[in-house]
Amino acid sequence: MATGKFSATHAFLLGFILSISSFITWSATQASTTLNNLIVIAPTAIVIGLLSVGIVVSILLKPASEPTADSKGEQSIWGDILLLAGFAAFCFALTTVGFDVATFIFIWVGVLMCGSKGKWQPPLYALLFTVFLVKGFGSLFPYPMTTLVL
Amino acid sequence: MIDQLALSQAFELLFNDLSPWLWVIPGLLIGLVFGSIPGLQISMAMAVFLPVTFGMDFLQAMLFLTAIFTGGAYGGGVTAILMNIPGSSSSIATAFDGYPMARKGQHNEALGIGLCASVVGAFVGYSLLMLLINPLAAFVLKIGPLEMVVVVLWGLTLIATLNESSMAKGLMAGFLGLMLSQIGMSTTGIMRTSIGNPYLIDGIPVVPAMIGIFAASELLRLRGGSYLVKDEAQRSISFSLILKGVGQTFRHPGVLLRGSLLGAIIGAIPGVGSSVANLVSYGEAKRTSKNPEAFGKGAPEGVVAAESANSSSEGGSMTALLALGIPGGAATAVLLAAFSFHNIIGGPSFIRNQTEIVYSIILGNLGQVVLLAVLGLLSLRLLGMVVRVPLSYLVPSVLAMCAWGGYGITGTIAGPLTVAAFAGLGWLMRQNNYPVAATVIGLLLGRMMEGEIVRTLQVSGGRPLEYMMERPIALVLFVIMLLVLIGAPALKAYRTRRANHEPS
Repeated sequence: MATGKFSATHAFLLGFILSISSFITWSATQASTTLNNLIVIAPTAIVIGLLSVGIVVSILLKPASEPTADSKGEQSIWGDILLLAGFAAFCFALTTVGFDVATFIFIWVGVLMCGSKGKWQPPLYALLFTVFLVKGFGSLFPYPMTTLVL
Repeated sequence: MIDQLALSQAFELLFNDLSPWLWVIPGLLIGLVFGSIPGLQISMAMAVFLPVTFGMDFLQAMLFLTAIFTGGAYGGGVTAILMNIPGSSSSIATAFDGYPMARKGQHNEALGIGLCASVVGAFVGYSLLMLLINPLAAFVLKIGPLEMVVVVLWGLTLIATLNESSMAKGLMAGFLGLMLSQIGMSTTGIMRTSIGNPYLIDGIPVVPAMIGIFAASELLRLRGGSYLVKDEAQRSISFSLILKGVGQTFRHPGVLLRGSLLGAIIGAIPGVGSSVANLVSYGEAKRTSKNPEAFGKGAPEGVVAAESANSSSEGGSMTALLALGIPGGAATAVLLAAFSFHNIIGGPSFIRNQTEIVYSIILGNLGQVVLLAVLGLLSLRLLGMVVRVPLSYLVPSVLAMCAWGGYGITGTIAGPLTVAAFAGLGWLMRQNNYPVAATVIGLLLGRMMEGEIVRTLQVSGGRPLEYMMERPIALVLFVIMLLVLIGAPALKAYRTRRANHEPS
C-alpha cells in the first residue's frame, strides 16, 4: 500500500501552527501561570498538539491519492506566491511610498500578473482606479493618508 | 403589551408630515455604500454622519442613523455573496454559502435570497421589539457572564461542522483562531506576547484579519481565471432570477423564522449580538437540514439562515439601547451619542414617559425595511455587475481595496499588514483544505470567551458549576445547547438506523 506524502505547503502550515502556538503558550506562561491567564491558552495548546499528531498520522497511513483534475500545478502555485509577495510589498509601501503611487504600481503590475495582455489598458485603468480610491474611498477615511502625488 | 394611545401618537408623529422620512433614503444609500466597501464599517458611517443630525429633530436623527445601520447590514451581505468579503463580523456566515452560489452562476438568486431574508429578519426583529420591549429588557438585565459563556460556546460549536471531509482539520483551524486571539494583553491586564509588534498589544485586529483570510486569500487563488462565473451565459444580471431568489427564500420558512428569532434574542445580548447570532443560526440550519452536506457548497438555506439572523439582531440590539440605555455595540454607541445630544436618556423612564417616541422609532424602522426592499432590488443590478468584470482587473483592484480597508479600520500600517499576513495564512489553509471560516470564528470569539469565563470565575468565587445552578437562564440555555448538539443528532441517527432495519 502506498503511503500519502505531505505536500510542502501542508508541512509548512502545520509547522507554522505548531510554532506559533508553542510561542504564544510559552509567552503566556512566562507572563503569569494563573488560571485566569491560561484558561483558554492551555487547553487550546493541548488540543492543537493532539490534532497535529492525529493529522500527521492519518496522512501517513492514508493511501496516496491520485492527483485530481483541479489540483493546481507547481507553476500556478508559484504565481500565487508571487502575487502574495507583491501584495505584501504593496501593503508595506502604502505608508512609506504613499497610497497613490503604491496603488498605481500594484494595480498596473497586478493586472499584468493576472493575465491581461493589453499594453495601454493596464496603466490607464491603474491610473483611473487610483484616482477613484484616493479621491473617493480615501476621503471617507477618518485618518490622515500619506500620498506622494495626488 | 402595546400602549394603544402611544401607538396612535407614534403614527401621528411619523405620518403627519414627511419630514422624519426625508433622510431615510439617503441613510439607506449611505449604509449600502459603506457596508459594501471592505473596511468601511457601519459604525464608521454613523459616526461620520453624526454631526449632520445635530440640526435635525430627535426622531429625524434616529431614523437617519438607523437607516444607515439597516442599509449597512445588508450591504455587508452583498460583498460576502459576490466577493467573499463579509462587510462585518455579522456577515461571516453569509459568505459560507452565498459566495459558492455566486461562483456557480447563481449570484442573482443568492442576492435575491439575501435581500429577502434580510428584509424578513429585520421585520421580525423590530416587530418583536415592538411587542416585547419590556420583557426583553428584563431578560437582558438578567444576562451575566455565565450566560454569555454559554452563548459564545454555542457559536464556537459551529467550528466542528465546517469541514465535512476532515473534522480534525476543521477543529485545527478553529483552535488556531482561538490561539491567535490570545496574542496581546489579556482581559485581566497581563501582557502576553505581541510578537514584538506594539500594534498587537490589543490583540490581532479582527476585521482586517477577516478581510485577509476570507477575501484576499481567495483572490490569490482566482488569479489566472477569466471571470468570477465561468459560464458566459450565467453572467447576466437578471431581475427575474433575483425575484426567483426572493421566492426561494420562502421555501425555507422554518430556517427563516428560526434565524429571525435567534437573531432577535441573541442580538439583544450586549457585546455578543450579531457576531454570534449569524453563526448560531447557520449552525442550527445545517444541523437540522435534511441535506447538510450541501452547506458550504452553495446551499440557499445557509444564506437564508445567516441573513435573517444578522438583520433581526439589529432589532434585538436596539432593546438594550432603548430600554436600558446600554449600547450593545459600536453602532448603537453612536446612536447613544445622538440620544445624549438631544438630551434623551434611554432606559425604563424613557420607555415609560416617551412611549410614543419609542414606538415611532420602531415603526420608522419597520418602514425602512420596506424601503430597503425597494432600494435593494434597484441597486442589486448595479452591484451584481461585478461578475462581468474580468478577473485580471477584478483581483488586483479588490486586493488593493482590501489593503485600503485594513488601513481604514486601524488607521495605521498594522491594518494592511494584518490583511497581507492573513492572506498568506488563508492561502496556505485553502491550499490544504482547512476551513478558513473556523479560524475567523475562533479569532472573533476567543477573546470574548476568555473575558466572560474569567468574569464567571470571579463572580462565582471559583465554583462555576454551583453558580450555574443559581442561574436559571444559563442552565436552560446550556440544556438547550446540549439537546441541540447531542440529543438531536442522536435521535436522527436512531431513526435512520431503525428505518434501515425495518423490512420494506
